[in-house]
Amino acid sequence: MVKVFIYPATSLILSDLVARYGHTPLSSAVAIRERIQTAGLESPPLQITPEEPKKGLRWAAVEVPAGVRGRMSLYGPQIEACEAAIIINDADLAFGCMGCARTNELVKFLLRQKDIPKLDLYYPKSEEEGVQFVSAIKRFLDGLGGQK
Amino acid sequence: MTEYTPVHVGTVTKYVVVESFDITPADLAVRAYEIAKGAMIKETCFGLVINGKEEEVDRIISELRTIDPDHIFIKDRGFPPGDPRRCRANLGGARPGYHGMEQEMTIIPYVSHGLEVIQTRDIQTVPAPQNPLEHTDLDVNRLKKLIEAQES
Amino acid sequence: MTPPVRIAQLSCGPEYSGIQHEIDVAAHAVGGEIFYPDIALRDVRRDFDRFGLDVRSPDLKLAIARAMALVEGRVEADAVFIATCFRCAEAAIVRNELRRYITEHSKLPVVSYSFTERTTSGTLLTRMEALTTIARRRALLAREVQQGITLGLDSGSATTKAIVMKDNKIIGTGWQPTTEVLKSANDVIDHALMEAGITRDDIQAVGTTGYGRFLVGKEIRADLIQEELTVNSKGAVYLANRQHGPATVIDIGGMDNKAISVMDGIPGTFTMGGICAGASGRFLEMTAKRLGVDITELGPLAMKGMGGRVPMNSYCIVFGTQSLVNALAAGSTREDVAAAACHSVAEQVFEQQLQEVDIKEPVIMVGGTSLIEGLVFAMGELLQTKIVVPPHSQYIGAVGSALLASGFIQER
Repeated sequence: MVKVFIYPATSLILSDLVARYGHTPLSSAVAIRERIQTAGLESPPLQITPEEPKKGLRWAAVEVPAGVRGRMSLYGPQIEACEAAIIINDADLAFGCMGCARTNELVKFLLRQKDIPKLDLYYPKSEEEGVQFVSAIKRFLDGLGGQK
Repeated sequence: MTEYTPVHVGTVTKYVVVESFDITPADLAVRAYEIAKGAMIKETCFGLVINGKEEEVDRIISELRTIDPDHIFIKDRGFPPGDPRRCRANLGGARPGYHGMEQEMTIIPYVSHGLEVIQTRDIQTVPAPQNPLEHTDLDVNRLKKLIEAQES
Repeated sequence: MTPPVRIAQLSCGPEYSGIQHEIDVAAHAVGGEIFYPDIALRDVRRDFDRFGLDVRSPDLKLAIARAMALVEGRVEADAVFIATCFRCAEAAIVRNELRRYITEHSKLPVVSYSFTERTTSGTLLTRMEALTTIARRRALLAREVQQGITLGLDSGSATTKAIVMKDNKIIGTGWQPTTEVLKSANDVIDHALMEAGITRDDIQAVGTTGYGRFLVGKEIRADLIQEELTVNSKGAVYLANRQHGPATVIDIGGMDNKAISVMDGIPGTFTMGGICAGASGRFLEMTAKRLGVDITELGPLAMKGMGGRVPMNSYCIVFGTQSLVNALAAGSTREDVAAAACHSVAEQVFEQQLQEVDIKEPVIMVGGTSLIEGLVFAMGELLQTKIVVPPHSQYIGAVGSALLASGFIQER
């Protein structure tokens, strides 16, 4: 099983296909779950405390807005841990955890900097594109190897 | 600041989304309850939310997938089912992630179609989709054809 | 029990900055309840296109669509809170445009705020209180005439002020620097009563405002305990005799500055700045001390100088003071230095705060600093308008409190 960072990290489609073909999707939900299930100081709704933007300083400087650094505290460790990535390039309406364009630019940049297998795609817009989309993802994931 | 004591520690929660002509979220729920063995199942408008130990949830999901593999989709959820922090009733409006899901639900039929087709087609022969990183210039002959098509 | 004031939140980033809980707590503390306008994805697509501001961040698109749902009445709310990350240019544009759009197209009171991970509920409290007051207490704010005998007390961070009013006239005043909050309050009240020639028993209603309003309000059993944004707006238009139509109120205080856009005496949009002492009355106090003059002499001194002759490279209270010291050492006159200090404060308020409210004439300056004529002059230059400084402007909060308190006489 290979850890695959999915972009958008909130994607149902990518999360499903990565798991369906035997790998581990790294997603927003997994990062949020870690916080929701860890004791500490109360900071609803996401259990992201004001400490998280400080942790985000590892990936973004202090003059970068708090919301970007807070989101990077979710994604930074996952980007470091991932062994492959699938990036959908026209995910313009992914909200919440993926709601900040500046964070999204940084996430994509850090993924591109990383020497790992990557698959760049657009969302399918027709049935035939759907076939190409699923085939490309399956070929990519099959090619990653790892024990399934 | 108040201390935070988490609940459902060590469990996972997953969405099971169904986009099918043949089965409804209610059908899926009936089957899920049959095989739940203590895992928490909650029905929603687009499918189910299942919470429990990871192995349990995975077992239920593998079973549910067999009902309609090309039209059932799974994803992780950070919160346990019905958590008041994410509940629409408490927030006044949908959490932002809901709209993201709404957006992908418009695309899922194409993905389902893809999943169906590749069972009977060798995926190695399927052409690669457009690569967003390759910005090719428009071929001049193609441009000519486009212009002609416009004029006719 | 009165139902909570429904405050619609339009935002990008607070959950991820760890401060959403602070927003919720602040709203709750003043009888408000935060909610997110419920819309569907198709509304986001359609309304984002209709609004026409082509931003990239999806959460900002969502905020735009939610704002349109509020303005068009598809979602009901009593007030709007707009919050985005400090230092985000894209969000700042959206924040400003949404504030303007909502104010122009609806009667909803709006507060906009740019937060950092250090933002606390305490910082947000005054703004939220003003928001819920405007939403809920329009009847209270409609008062234009003071009746009976009332006392207003403004327990500010730098000074404490008291005013006694009778039949729409000021009959007693008290003023002193804030030391111990309660002691300072009692001292200024005694002074105001003495001047008015009455006793505490004659007072028919009491109002408090300012940082110490809760503490003092409890002690002297105030009928009205109210934040300074609404109270000062009321006081300013009352004293300036501009109770009808638009006005802009600027109050440069000891700890924070307020810029309030007012319509018929009710605040519409407002900003409160309080991060930098370099933009506050404190900086002028320090300048006066360094020049060896009383703060009351700083204004006339500045009027004789030319601020442009002194290089000021920093807005910071420490480095700014250093620039002034250097200028004095290099031979600049005290007059020019005083003028430069006034210009620096005015410019900083102008650049950082007045951009977020729509400046409409008359511009009324209030608070202790409005007595520093060099500062008023500098602000007038920047805004290209003649600034109104009403009589008793330094007592603004106390006057506003005394005026509004008379609405409680019958209840007693």
